[in-house]
Amino acid sequence: MSLKADRASLAFSFKGGLLPMTVMELTSADPERIREQLAGKLSQSPAFFQHTPVVLSVERLDEPHLALERICAVCRAHKLLPVAVRGGSDPVKQSAWALGLGWFPPQEARARSLESVPVGDAEVAAPSSAASGAAEPAAVPAARIYRGTVRSGQQVSAPEGDLVVIGAVNAGAEVLAAGSVHVYGALRGRALAGIHGNAATGIYCRELHAELLSVAGNYKRLEDVDPRLLGAAVEVHLSDDQLAIAALD
Amino acid sequence: MAKIIVVTSGKGGVGKTTSAAAIATGLALRGKKTVVIDFDVGLRNLDLIMGCERRVVYDLVNVIQGEAGLAQALIRDKRVDNLHILPASQTRDKDALTPEGVEKVLETLSGDFDYILCDSPAGIERGAQLAMYFADEAIVVTNPEVSSVRDSDRILGLLAAKTRRAERGEDPVKEHLLITRYNPERVDYGDMLTLEDIREILAIDLIGLIPESEAVLRASNQGIPVVHDQKSDAGLAYADTVSRLLGEEVPLRFHEIQKKGLLSRMFGGGRR
Ligand SMILES: Nc1ncnc2c1ncn2[C@@H]1O[C@H](COP(=O)(O)OP(=O)(O)O)[C@@H](O)[C@H]1O
Ligand SMILES: [Mg+2]
Repeated sequence: MSLKADRASLAFSFKGGLLPMTVMELTSADPERIREQLAGKLSQSPAFFQHTPVVLSVERLDEPHLALERICAVCRAHKLLPVAVRGGSDPVKQSAWALGLGWFPPQEARARSLESVPVGDAEVAAPSSAASGAAEPAAVPAARIYRGTVRSGQQVSAPEGDLVVIGAVNAGAEVLAAGSVHVYGALRGRALAGIHGNAATGIYCRELHAELLSVAGNYKRLEDVDPRLLGAAVEVHLSDDQLAIAALD
Repeated sequence: MAKIIVVTSGKGGVGKTTSAAAIATGLALRGKKTVVIDFDVGLRNLDLIMGCERRVVYDLVNVIQGEAGLAQALIRDKRVDNLHILPASQTRDKDALTPEGVEKVLETLSGDFDYILCDSPAGIERGAQLAMYFADEAIVVTNPEVSSVRDSDRILGLLAAKTRRAERGEDPVKEHLLITRYNPERVDYGDMLTLEDIREILAIDLIGLIPESEAVLRASNQGIPVVHDQKSDAGLAYADTVSRLLGEEVPLRFHEIQKKGLLSRMFGGGRR
């Protein structure tokens, strides 16, 4: 039984985590142009730039070599903290590692390679972000049905298909699915649909109070949600890479 | 075979020890052979609330470590027959409790008592998990505050996963919600969560509602569990709770603002 484990002797334990992460999708590799745009953004919404971790996505760039070090420096100068790079050629990967950054395979490849591997409860992969033209919904496995309240500290996941919760998801709880998330009750915790990048998924609930909503890596926190929708039955889906929340009735 | 009931909450200072003492006393007053065990090793509060702190010689840790027999450590309550207290140690550290040791103590007590109440320490770590591990039922003590409700929710998750019943795939631990320190005026004012809010979030059966009451402070200062004070609102509310635990249907009271009438003021009834 778990109580016997001598926790005091462990220096750490690994926990699965799925954190909201901003993806900075580069459409130019020119550090100067990036600097200009960042400077403009910084004056518009300074609150965003507080050592915010970002993943630099270079998938849209077609350059085998990047001035990655300079791009990172520009980011840091504007209080963005690059933590990883997504996509790019092998030299890009090597220089990411040399800079102490992580590297993620490009979106499409990731979606496919993960979909063939069942992912356990505690080992859900790192956040992904919306891809324009993300993976097509393939033959969908049966939904996982969970009856009862998902409570603070609990995580219920459907690593392959939809997740149906017949009950409430309380604050501090997390529900996630490769497919859509349906909550027949109040959604007060975190809900993440399309965790492998499937953008054609959604979140449906009877009563919206969610701490976090995410579809294929695009997320909204409670404070970003239109207060008029709080408490309503809603549907959440992606529309033009943006989370759209609509009342169901 | 005794019924093992853990009194738990996650959050500290919500009224676990007060409730464990009052409910154990109430059960004994109703003729049930009852023992209440203090699992809060290091703090040791239960004996104070029960008014037997001067009679503590041996404690739960001594028994588990084989330094004393159960009969030596059990304290018989002065006021009520059928009621015993097994105190916690103030000096030992928390790791002195082992699952095997606790299991053996509970097994032995099981033969002699109808009810075993376990007063859990705060938190969700080892001490709290050990107090709940062997439970058949759980009384989840919750105050009308967001943080307390959140912690109770967390504890309910653990009850469903980290108990012997859960691990063996037996019938789940029966969960009861006990709301304490309820103040209808402050709830009405919007300072605190309503009874309905709490019930909706936690989604378990309500076993009782104890109002915020000066009688509780008075009782713990005197070392007389508040259920003995049958003139007080809290004392009556704990008696109601005990009745429900015994399967009786008792209407809820003290959840609405009470207008003090002339009579109740003259005879000192109602909220005091
Ligand atoms: N219904 C109540 N009304 C007023 N005070 C209360 C009530 N219940 C508990 N208290 C007070 O709250 C404090 C914490 O209670 P205690 O039972 O020791 O909590 P816990 O065991 O959960 O830490 C004590 O000072 C106690 O007197
Ligand atoms: Mg206590």
